Amino acid sequence: MDTQSRSIPLISRGDGVVIGVAVALLLAVFITLWQPEGHGAEAVVYLNGNRWARLNLFQNQDIKVPGPLGISQLQVRDGKIRFVDSPCPTKLCVHAGWLSQGGESATCLPNHVSVQVLGDDPRFDTINF
Amino acid sequence: MTVTRIIQTTRDDHLIAALTALAITIHIAESALPSPLPGIKPGLANVVTLLVLCRYGWRMAAWVSLLRVLVGSILIGTFLSPTFFLSASGALASVLFLGLLHAFSKTFPKWSVGPLGLGIAAAMTHMTGQFLLAYTLFIPHSGILRLFPVLLALSTILGIVSGLLTRAVLARLNDNPALT
Amino acid sequence: MIKAISRIFLLILIILSLGCSRGPTVYHQQLLVFGTLVDIKLWGVKQKKAEEAVAQLTKDFNYMDHAWHAWHAGPLTRANYFIANQEPFTAPPSILPLIKRGTELSTLSGGLFNPAIGNLMHLWGFESDDPPHGPPPDPRAIQTLVDQKPSMKDLTVDGITIKSSNPGVKMDFGGFAKGYAVDRAIDYLRQVGIQNAVVNAGGDLRAIGSHGDRPWRVGIRHPRKEGILAAVEAKADESIFTSGDYERYFDWKGKRYAHIIDPRTGYPAHGLTSVTVFANQGDLADAAATALFVAGPRVKDWLPIARAMGINGAMLVDSKGNVQMTPGIRDRIHFEVDPPPPVSISEALH
Repeated sequence: MDTQSRSIPLISRGDGVVIGVAVALLLAVFITLWQPEGHGAEAVVYLNGNRWARLNLFQNQDIKVPGPLGISQLQVRDGKIRFVDSPCPTKLCVHAGWLSQGGESATCLPNHVSVQVLGDDPRFDTINF
Repeated sequence: MTVTRIIQTTRDDHLIAALTALAITIHIAESALPSPLPGIKPGLANVVTLLVLCRYGWRMAAWVSLLRVLVGSILIGTFLSPTFFLSASGALASVLFLGLLHAFSKTFPKWSVGPLGLGIAAAMTHMTGQFLLAYTLFIPHSGILRLFPVLLALSTILGIVSGLLTRAVLARLNDNPALT
Repeated sequence: MIKAISRIFLLILIILSLGCSRGPTVYHQQLLVFGTLVDIKLWGVKQKKAEEAVAQLTKDFNYMDHAWHAWHAGPLTRANYFIANQEPFTAPPSILPLIKRGTELSTLSGGLFNPAIGNLMHLWGFESDDPPHGPPPDPRAIQTLVDQKPSMKDLTVDGITIKSSNPGVKMDFGGFAKGYAVDRAIDYLRQVGIQNAVVNAGGDLRAIGSHGDRPWRVGIRHPRKEGILAAVEAKADESIFTSGDYERYFDWKGKRYAHIIDPRTGYPAHGLTSVTVFANQGDLADAAATALFVAGPRVKDWLPIARAMGINGAMLVDSKGNVQMTPGIRDRIHFEVDPPPPVSISEALH
């Protein structure tokens, strides 16, 4: 900073760097800290107790999970996920319906398939049934 | 025979004292404003710090900043209160980082950072320092983390404003050395 | 020098604060054990310690499953064999506590919770790996078993020897084994210094501590429709157990036959779709949910049992969708369905 000069440039090279870093920092901070509250944007599918897939709930898709009894059919639509069909006798998993809130979950026990919606501040930590 | 030492106060001393007083005044005025979290202020007093930094170097700027927070809080009556610590942490973070940039600019003149960049950096580090303290010591609630991006963005805008203001004032002072 | 150090320190602080923005997190693990899905959440525990604790719980659950299994060969089936043949036998250590506690809870429930009716369970097809199916068994076969009046009191425990005075007794602890297992799991977690956890075994859970700065949030599923019926926040040490007619059942000629048998009639209890019990201990909550389900929807039938068993609260849903609750629960429940179901509040429990 040469305070003797008559004119001070609006944006010097150094300023440019600072601005660049500032923008990057702002973006990073928004992305990491600004998760939508409660509503989950992602879900995890467990097969045989292990993480099998991590799904983006805003990417509409149909998933086939290969369990010991057969294929459990999952459906992702507009931020929600559900069991459409499963090779189990009682179909409790299908009965659980659409899951959208962080913490909501459904399980097909006989086929060892389980789905849980992730959420930073989930509406429910655990489901009683 | 007594030797009387006369301490000559220079014009610069006067200016710095005046600027410090100005900074303290702004600090006190800001404390009257409502804010999202206690102690989080726009930081317009930063303009003074930046001016001093650009004209008189880092050491002076650090002094002005420190005095601003100390004296300001004593006058308002918040000395050693949480508000004081928040101001102090913001000022400390800001001043330290400015020192970094200042030294950097001296070493690499081609890449020297101007008032705009300094203003942005000062404001953002000020806000970050305040927030860190608030989060770790006062409200370790994950809920307020969502506030941080917004606060940071706000502080960036204010930083731009204070940087531009500083630049304008600096140009004026440069044009009219007699103004001091 | 100091300047440089303090700047770097500050920079590191900023970077770290962005990285560790979540604070203490929840350790979450699902286990396929104990014939069901056990979902465990631990709060504020270091990764390594959490992994070790869960590994141990897996072993414990597997052990309990084998020891207490009502129809796979093991200590319980062997004990049942001796009882049927009226021979005294040495109580296997793994099931002796179950027998004692089961007897206590059975007495408290006035016999509505009766773990000695294994023969009836078997007759109806609820003691099998295959899904239950109709037709219902012959009424005369049912009556014969009922007339035997099997009860846990028919067992005499003398030191470690057990003798039965009634060959009709067959122990099936399905009505409270999950609760008992969850209690042991919680005990173990506490022993290793974990104070904030939820152990959920197939939908029945016990929560201790909290999720950091807020309680554990529990969603109670709707017995008939899809989705969540109600939300409740768990107390610092609370078990929430639900018995329903939608888990193991078969439909025959338009009627539902579920796995909770009324020991007095020998037929599956009807009138209620689900009972949710709030209590401190899991084994108590489990047994009480079974007992209240058997008691039926009339408050003069279920309230005395709830009082006798010493639970903290209950919520009952009948086949028409009406909800009954104890007063303490009404303030804590938040219905998630719109419109909320019709609710009637019973008298206080204590």
